[in-house]
Amino acid sequence: MTRPLPARLGLYAAALVIAVYSAFPIYWMVVSSLRAPEAMLTSTSLLPGPFTTEYYWNLLELTDYPAQFLNSVIVAGVTVAVTMVLSVMIAYAVTRQRMPGKRLVIGAMLYAYMFPPLLIAIPMFSVFAKIGLGDTLASVIVSHLTLTLPLGVWFLWGFFKSMPFELEEAAMVDGCTRLGAFLRVVLPLSLPGLITVAIFSFLLSWTDYTFALIMIGSDANKTVPVGLASMIGSFDLRWGEIMAGSTLIALPLFGAFALLSQYFIQGLGAGAVKG
Amino acid sequence: MSSRATIYSFLGIGLAATLLLIVAPVVYAISLSFYHMDSFVGTPRWAGLDNYARVLSEWAFWRALGNGFIYSFGTIVLQVVLGIGFALVLNQVFPFRNIVRGLSILPYLLPTVVVVLTFKWMVDGSIGVLTHVIAALGLPPVQWFESPGAAMASVILVSVWMWTPFVTTTFLAALQTVPASLYEAAKVDGTNAVQRFFHITLPMLKPILTVIVLLRAVWMFNKFDVIWLLTQGGPVGATEHLAILSYRTAFSLFDIGGGAAIATISFGILSVAVFIYFRLFPIDTE
Repeated sequence: MTRPLPARLGLYAAALVIAVYSAFPIYWMVVSSLRAPEAMLTSTSLLPGPFTTEYYWNLLELTDYPAQFLNSVIVAGVTVAVTMVLSVMIAYAVTRQRMPGKRLVIGAMLYAYMFPPLLIAIPMFSVFAKIGLGDTLASVIVSHLTLTLPLGVWFLWGFFKSMPFELEEAAMVDGCTRLGAFLRVVLPLSLPGLITVAIFSFLLSWTDYTFALIMIGSDANKTVPVGLASMIGSFDLRWGEIMAGSTLIALPLFGAFALLSQYFIQGLGAGAVKG
Repeated sequence: MSSRATIYSFLGIGLAATLLLIVAPVVYAISLSFYHMDSFVGTPRWAGLDNYARVLSEWAFWRALGNGFIYSFGTIVLQVVLGIGFALVLNQVFPFRNIVRGLSILPYLLPTVVVVLTFKWMVDGSIGVLTHVIAALGLPPVQWFESPGAAMASVILVSVWMWTPFVTTTFLAALQTVPASLYEAAKVDGTNAVQRFFHITLPMLKPILTVIVLLRAVWMFNKFDVIWLLTQGGPVGATEHLAILSYRTAFSLFDIGGGAAIATISFGILSVAVFIYFRLFPIDTE
């Protein structure tokens, strides 16, 4: 069915507005991170240029940014790995066995989705300080698990529920143990679910500011979001470097999204969500 | 290893992780709220209900509670209205639709820090791009964070930009589940698009809309990072809500019991929302 021309133009205009509204700030971040310093102060052009890469070099050579980037990679990497292992085990056990405590696990997970961050951060900070693990990446990782584990269990629980039991039963009849059936039949089939959990855990851990702010005190142990935020508190505002740093944190997310957008959208629809 | 043993060891690990990571911190936080503690490594002293009495007697607490409701309500209404509007547009057929759909999700992927820094750069008092645009339109310069009202509006604006894609994407997915035959039949009956939206789309999508509003309400009420990074709760407490008050109390004033008490009170308020959620959508373990 074709619409009359005015209606079509209205629709195109609306779509354009959505695109510009959503993408302009991101575009502007990238453009600013590459714009030569003198043009930064004077130019009113919305087009990119004149180009420079000096902000990126300053960031990499003169600041803690590379070390903080590495911290973020470690924290997100470990968080994703632990979340996947634990949530697969929990979700699988909960869907495949009638037992008391099942509802408690799922209910606790859903509830934990909605906890105020400070309710977790205050006691965790206190415990980590007392056992001498204050200001460590480990403390950030544990605090991130309180966000990612509920998400992983909740999402995979829905995923395993819809996977027919007959598949593993057939494998077990053929002589597989339960663990063998789980590893050889269930896990390969749940790959799309696992990818979704990995994406969302990564997203939560990589973008987190609140927990990293509370758990980390020293510059050397900061993750990128906290490190970058402290640049704005310093005496002169180096917008070029700040936008370069912002672009570098955002890039991995956009890359992952471009490759895996269908998992991302399915995940959102099925209740895997971040804040 | 027998089948039962495998499952039970999985469940055992699961329960242990749940207890350690989720139940224990909450229990510890609630118990801290009954103690005086002025250092994170100090020994707690029993305080009974003192922390609660002190917190509740302070004007700052009630202001923070009110700000929290204003902030959540404002952001949710705008997110939902804008998100539904966007979803309706993106559900139509137009060139480059997939690209526009992809772009509309991007704000949701960004770290809060990036969003806040970019916003601050765009509204920079002398050389920000929005500052230039506003000047070019002949409007007076906007003081984004100076007055209490403007600061709250700025915080809401940035939050809405960031979290609308959640509503857009979920609503767009839901729109595709409404059978086209319903619209066809209604068209035959001579209805217009607005009537079809209010009489078919909205009623059909009421359950998913309830979930969206409830989840967003809880999360917006909990938001800490976006407000902290934009205003730190200022000017003079105008954007301070319970999460920021709790943070400041525990980590700047080192009144850890007080901070824990505020976090516990927010937890209580949220539990009401969670309770409603569980009543509406019981956990189906089958």
